[in-house]
Amino acid sequence: MKLIVKTTFKHLVAALVFSVSLSACKEDGIGEVDDISGLGGDEWVKGPVDQWILDSLVTPYNISAKYKWDQFEFGNITKTLVPPDESQVVPLLSTIKKAWTMPYVEEAGKVFYNKYSPKFFILSGSNEYNSEGSITLGTAEGGRKVILYGVNLFKIKGMAGYDPARDSSFVKDWFLHTIHHEFGHILHQTVLYPVEYKNISKSLYQGGNWINWSDADARRDGFITAYSSSAFDEDFVEMIAMMLTEGKVGFDKLVNSIPAGTSPHGVTKAQAQAALRQKEAIIVAYYKNTWKIDFYSLQKRVRGSMNKLF
Amino acid sequence: MKNSFIYLLLLAVTLFSCENSDDTVFEESADVRLNAALASYEKQLVEAPYGWNAVIYPGGGGSYGFYFKFDDKNRVSMFSDFSDASAAKVKESSYRLKAVQTPVLIFDTYSYLHVLSDPDEEVNGGVRGEGLQSDFEFSIYPDSAKADVITLVGRKNQSRLVLTKATQAQATAYNSGDLAKGLLFNNIAKYQTYFKRVTLGGVTYEITVNATDRTIKLTWLNGSTPKTFTTSYYYTPSGVSFVSPLVNGSQTITGFGNITWNASTTQLGLSGGGASGIVASAVKPLSVDLAAAKRWWQDPIESGGDWRTVDGFHVNGVDDAFKVKDLTFEGAQYAFYVYQPGLTAQYDLFGPVFFADNSLSIEYADAPKRPTFTADGRVVFSAYGTLGDVPTTGPHVNSVNLLYDAAGFYLIQTSETTYDMVSAKDAKAWISWQ
Repeated sequence: MKLIVKTTFKHLVAALVFSVSLSACKEDGIGEVDDISGLGGDEWVKGPVDQWILDSLVTPYNISAKYKWDQFEFGNITKTLVPPDESQVVPLLSTIKKAWTMPYVEEAGKVFYNKYSPKFFILSGSNEYNSEGSITLGTAEGGRKVILYGVNLFKIKGMAGYDPARDSSFVKDWFLHTIHHEFGHILHQTVLYPVEYKNISKSLYQGGNWINWSDADARRDGFITAYSSSAFDEDFVEMIAMMLTEGKVGFDKLVNSIPAGTSPHGVTKAQAQAALRQKEAIIVAYYKNTWKIDFYSLQKRVRGSMNKLF
Repeated sequence: MKNSFIYLLLLAVTLFSCENSDDTVFEESADVRLNAALASYEKQLVEAPYGWNAVIYPGGGGSYGFYFKFDDKNRVSMFSDFSDASAAKVKESSYRLKAVQTPVLIFDTYSYLHVLSDPDEEVNGGVRGEGLQSDFEFSIYPDSAKADVITLVGRKNQSRLVLTKATQAQATAYNSGDLAKGLLFNNIAKYQTYFKRVTLGGVTYEITVNATDRTIKLTWLNGSTPKTFTTSYYYTPSGVSFVSPLVNGSQTITGFGNITWNASTTQLGLSGGGASGIVASAVKPLSVDLAAAKRWWQDPIESGGDWRTVDGFHVNGVDDAFKVKDLTFEGAQYAFYVYQPGLTAQYDLFGPVFFADNSLSIEYADAPKRPTFTADGRVVFSAYGTLGDVPTTGPHVNSVNLLYDAAGFYLIQTSETTYDMVSAKDAKAWISWQ
C-alpha cells in the first residue's frame, strides 16, 4: 500500500513538472520568418531556353531539365566539369524528346509515359573523365534523375561543324542509348521481366570483368554489348537500348555479323544467335503483356525519328 | 530519493529551456543580411556603366585577360584573350549570385571563362580531366568588393579573379575588337631566329616569350652585367600587360603597347616605357651564359640521367623539321630522342628511343665524340662513330648532320631542369632538352 502511494506521488510530481514545462514553453507562433535565400530553388530572369523547357517538357510531361550550373547535382564533386553552352540545350533536349519521349507517348500514351519517365534531367557541358581512362556518359539515380554529360560535344544535322560519320553514332551511342537504357531499368524495376530471361546466358555473365571485353567478343557469347554481360538487369536494358536505337534492320545486322566458330567461352555461332533471338522474343512479349506496347512498332518510331535527325 | 534529483534536474532544464529572449548581436537576421549582401554585389556588378576589365590567375598558373559586362537580367557579355576568335567576337551567357557558404558569383552557362576550366584537354591544352585548373564559381568575401575593384577567389581551384571598373574608352575598345590587336604580339613566334631583341629608350632588351605559361623574360646589359626580369602577362586592347612592371633605372615598362605586325616583312612593332621599337632577329644571345654548355653536359653525368626531347629539331620555323616522330623500328613506335653525355670516356650517345611491348629500347644511335666547349660559350659536336645499324637517309641522318654543324650550339637554361640548344650558325635551329 505504501509503495503504491509513493508511486502515485512520484507520478504526480512528474505530471506537475510536465504541465509546468508545457505551459511555460508556449511559443508565440513560429516567429518571424525571413526570406531565406535560395529556398524554393535558385532564381534567375527566365530566357528562351527556360521557356522552351517549360513549354516542351515541364507542362506536358512534368519533366524538368537543369542546364545552369549547380555543382551539387553531380555525384562526385572532385571532378572537373563545365556547364553546357546555352545554344546546345534545346537541340539536345528536343532530340531526346523526338527519339525517346514521342515514340513512347505515341505508342503507350501520355499517362504511361508521365507515370514512369524520369523527372529530372541534369546536363553537363563536358564529359566526366575517370582516373582509369574511361569516360562517364550518363548516370541515373533511382529512376528519377538522369545526368547527361558531354552536352557541348553534341551535334545533329543542321548544326555548325556537323560530321555525319562521327556525330550520328556519337548521338546514338551516347545520349539516346543512355536514356533508353535508363528507362529500361525503370520499367523492369516496376514489373520484373520473366525469370526465363536470366537462364538464357546464365553461366556466361562476366560481372565487373565486362570492361575487358569488346562488344564483338560479347556478341559471340550471346550478349548484345560488352556491358550486357555484366549482369542480368544490364543485359535486359542494353538489349532494349540497342534494339530501339539500331532499329530492326541494324539489330538483325549485328546478330548476323557474329562470326563462325566457337567463342573462348565455348559458345558457337548458332548458340550465340539463338540466345540473342530468345532475349529479343522475351522483351517483345514483356512489352506486350506488361505494358501493352507493340515493341516493333515502338522500334520503328524510335529509329524513324532518328533517321530524320542525322 | 534518487528519482527526486532527476525530477529536480528536469525541472531546472525545463525552466532554462523556457528562457525565451533570444537577443541577437545584429539588428537584422542572417537571412536578411545575406539577401542584402547578394543584392548589393549584384547591383555593383550591374551598375558599372562600362563593365569590368578582368584578369584571372588560374590555380594551374598563367594569367588571362577578360572583359565582362553584366546586366540586371542574369546575362553577361564577354571578351577573352585566350584566342583570336574570343578576343574579337563577344559571347553572351548567364550568371547568378547565390548563397553557398559565402555569397558566390557563378558563371552558370558555358562562356569564354569556362574554356580555361574545360576538362577536355583539346579545348585549352591543359591536363585531361582538369583543364588549366581554373574556376567559374567565385566566393565573394567581405573585403572582396571595393568601389572600383572586386577581388574574387575560385571555389574549386582557388583561382584569383580581379575585376576593375572599365572606362568608356576601354569598353569601346573591347567592343570594336581591339583586344585582337593586342594578340598580334603572338606573332613574335613567327620570327625564325631563337633570339629576338627590341631597343626601347636606348636599352636593348632580349625578349623570351613562353606562350604556354604566359611569361615574358627580358634580358639586358647594365654595363657588361646581364640583368633579367620575368613576369606573367595578359592582353588588353592596348596590348600586352605585365603583371609586375619592369623598373630599370629611370625606365618603367608596364607592358607593350601600339603593337603592329607586318606579315610581309615579318616585323613586330611595339612600344614600352615611353619609347617604341621594332623587334629584330639576333643570331646569338645578348649575354652568353658561358658556363651553360658545360653545365648542360655535366649535369646528367652527376645525376645519372640523360637529356630527352620528343620533338627533335625545330628548324626555320618548323617544329620537328626532320619528322623524327614518324620514325619506326620493326613495328616499334618512336618514343623520344635521347642525348647521353659521357656514355664512355671517349663518346656520348645521340639517337631515337623506341617503344614496343611495354618497354623502351635503343636500336641504333650516333656516338658523338666528347664535345668541345669553346671560350665564347658554345658546344661543338663531332662524330666518333655509330652504334647498331644506323639508317643512311631520313630523320636520324638529318638530325645528326645538324648536330655535327661546325658552328656548334649555345645552351640556354630555360628552367632548373630544361635547356634549349640553339644553333650558333644562325639561331634558326634549336632543340629543347628536358
